[in-house]
Amino acid sequence: MSNSEHYIDSDEEQTVLIIMTSGPSTPTRCATPFFVGSILAAMDAEVRIFFTMEGVRLVQKGVAENLTAMEDGKLIIDFMRDAKAAGVQLCACMPAMPGYNIDMENDLIDEIDEVVGGGVFADLILTSDKVISF
Amino acid sequence: MDCNGCEFRPELYYDKEFQIWVSKQDDGSLRVGMTDISQSIAGKIMHIRVRKPGTRRPSGKPVATIESAKWAGPIPNFMDCVLNEGNPEVLNNPSLLNQDPYGMWIANVTPDLPVEESLASFLTGEEAKKAYCQRAIDEDIHCERLEQK
Repeated sequence: MSNSEHYIDSDEEQTVLIIMTSGPSTPTRCATPFFVGSILAAMDAEVRIFFTMEGVRLVQKGVAENLTAMEDGKLIIDFMRDAKAAGVQLCACMPAMPGYNIDMENDLIDEIDEVVGGGVFADLILTSDKVISF
Repeated sequence: MDCNGCEFRPELYYDKEFQIWVSKQDDGSLRVGMTDISQSIAGKIMHIRVRKPGTRRPSGKPVATIESAKWAGPIPNFMDCVLNEGNPEVLNNPSLLNQDPYGMWIANVTPDLPVEESLASFLTGEEAKKAYCQRAIDEDIHCERLEQK
């Protein structure tokens, strides 16, 4: 028998902000935000993943392409690409970059949709229906 | 043409990226399922959730969500339609999609427009097969099935 768990009942389109502060020093924390983001986007939520603090390392070329959450697991960049394919927007925090010596003009992966400042980040926090931090 | 072991059914209709297949039903409804390429990319499917029956789905809004151990995402939708039902067999045992992707449909929908008009942008037949194989080769996708128990 199928039951209500098998059906999505909500028609409400919500905005979700996922704040990604984890990075390569904690690889086991680096896959789930994209996985959850993909599911939320597939359920019609408008999802943004905002990379800040150590999270910005994941948008630096050569990092997510060589990082897995578990041994021999799927690359983090592929989790990020799946999320994008599901409709998730990827945003990076401009003020966090100098602390990690990231050159905004040349070092960012192509998957990033926008690089924004702290004011936009604050706006997103205040206006999103749900805010989750990893 | 060798499609890296990915099965193709010429009688079905496909989106341009071959994520889903669509088949016509006698009552004017359409069945939607996932291709051999899609189930292979996803890996063993653990959970599936379909939009509630009676829900209107505009083009671009998914009809279902799929989760495997390594992949999560939508079953996309390319037409304005109403969702009639999810396939109870698949809802209760999602890995059937990995065993028999073309035998197991996910959702039954009724398009707003006449069927032929709704399927106008889909690919089918030999033209579709060529593009389907090309995607498997270009992206080095090798299809694998879960064994049926």
